[in-house]
This record gives sequence, C-alpha cells and structure tokens, in this order.
Amino acid sequence: MDVLGPILFAFLTLMIVGGGLGVVLAGRITTSALLMAFTFLNMAGMFVLLGSETIAAFQVLIYVGAITVLILYGVMFTPQTPRAYGLFFQKQTPWGALVAALAALPVIVVAFSFHDAASLPAPGGDLNALATAVFTSFAFPFEVASVLLLSAMVGAIVLVKREPASRPPAAPPDPERPV
Amino acid sequence: MTLVPLPAFIAVSATLFFIGVAGVLVRRNAVVILMSVELMLNATNLAFVAFSRRLAVAGERGSVFVVFVFVVAAAEVAVGLAIILAAYRNRPTVDVDQLDEMKG
Repeated sequence: MDVLGPILFAFLTLMIVGGGLGVVLAGRITTSALLMAFTFLNMAGMFVLLGSETIAAFQVLIYVGAITVLILYGVMFTPQTPRAYGLFFQKQTPWGALVAALAALPVIVVAFSFHDAASLPAPGGDLNALATAVFTSFAFPFEVASVLLLSAMVGAIVLVKREPASRPPAAPPDPERPV
Repeated sequence: MTLVPLPAFIAVSATLFFIGVAGVLVRRNAVVILMSVELMLNATNLAFVAFSRRLAVAGERGSVFVVFVFVVAAAEVAVGLAIILAAYRNRPTVDVDQLDEMKG
C-alpha cells in the first residue's frame, strides 16, 4: 500500500502529459478530440488520488461526457483538411518561446513554495462538505452560474440559427469580398 | 501510506497548462484551439483540487471553484463552437489565419 499512491501518480502523470501532447501534435482532428477525452479521464483518476471523488464524478460526466461530444460535433460540422504547416519553426516561434519561458519561471518558483498542511483531512467523502459550501457560502454565485448557463444556451442557439426563408433576400454579395 | 507531495500535483498542472498554451499558439484550426483551452481549464482544476485537499487554509473553497470552472467551461465550449460554426457559414474555413476580415 505504501507504493501504490506514487505508482498511480506516475502512471496518471504519464497518461495526462502524453495525452495533452497528443492533442497538440496529432495530425487528425478526430485523434486530437479522442486524446482530449483520454486526458480528461486520467485527470479524473488524479482527482480520486487526491480524495475528491465527487469532483472526479463531475469530471467524467461533464468533461468526458458532454464537452467531448460537443467538440466531436464541431469536428463533424467543419471540414478537416490535413495540417499543411509545420508545428515548430514558424515565424512567431522565438517570441512564443520567450513569452512562455518568462511566464513559466514565476510559476515554477511559486509552485514549489507550497507544502502540505501538517494535518490533512481524511481522504474521501467530500460530497457533504462540498454541498454544504455550495448551498450556504456560495449560494449566490451558484444562482449566477445558472443564469450564465441559460444565457450561454440561448446565445448558442441564436448564433447558429438559420435565417428564416420568408425574409426578403439580403443584399447581393459584395464582389470585392474574397471567397 | 505515503502521500504524493503537493508540489508534484502542481507540477503536473503547470505542465498540462503550458501544453495547452502551446496548442493555442501553434495550431490554426479553431476546433483544436478550443480543445487546447479546455486542457488549460482542466489543468487549473487539478491545481484547485490539490490546494483544496492539501492546504488547510483552502478548505472546501477549491472544490467549489472547480464546480464553477466546470460551469464556465461548458458555457465556453457551447458558445465557442457556435461562433466557429457561424464563422464557417460566412466563410468556408476554420483556419484562424484566414479569418482576417478585421485585420487592419
């Protein structure tokens, strides 16, 4: 039992980092989408390792279930041409590397300045505390989140709605406009 | 049982976050950029949960924030895909380099 935690952590880390790299580097978009689902699934394992089973369940339901399906719909509705450019050594690469390094340095310094608390809560059973916090201290943000979801749903429907056919035809297309 | 230390989780979170940043910067397909943003959001979720479980001062607040990040991620991907589809209907491309009508 002593070694099970670190071994699981190493395995999940390999899967998460490998899956993330695969999302960025894969040539086919469908491969990227399925590797993204794989990464999210391993992230749920990481949450279980941390003792937050409720968050892990939400992760599987929302990320692996809903968001991956939405992304796959996006893949289905858009044309997929093979990537016609190299991923590295574009003209922005030196600037991108510089900015990423500048951003990563403080993150590394801050990340390794944290240490575990002396007395840790018992792992598992986070549902009661989470639900109590959401419905007492965070009740107002919870309601605001529902409004956000409603407006996002209405906005998505309005954005993709087709123009009704009975409308008068729009202005003729601008010949200057590139197709 | 030996516990994996907190900085290890933060390191994994930061690594995945910067993989997502690289994806946003180097890919030009709008759908893949959306996937990379999701990777970044999920990396922050790992940091939130790790702090929530391992720092005494954080308490349950980290987990509550993760729930709100889930909400925002779901709204973001729905509206983002709607925008991509609307742009695709106007011009048949999802390459962000070719969606340059607002370029001065």
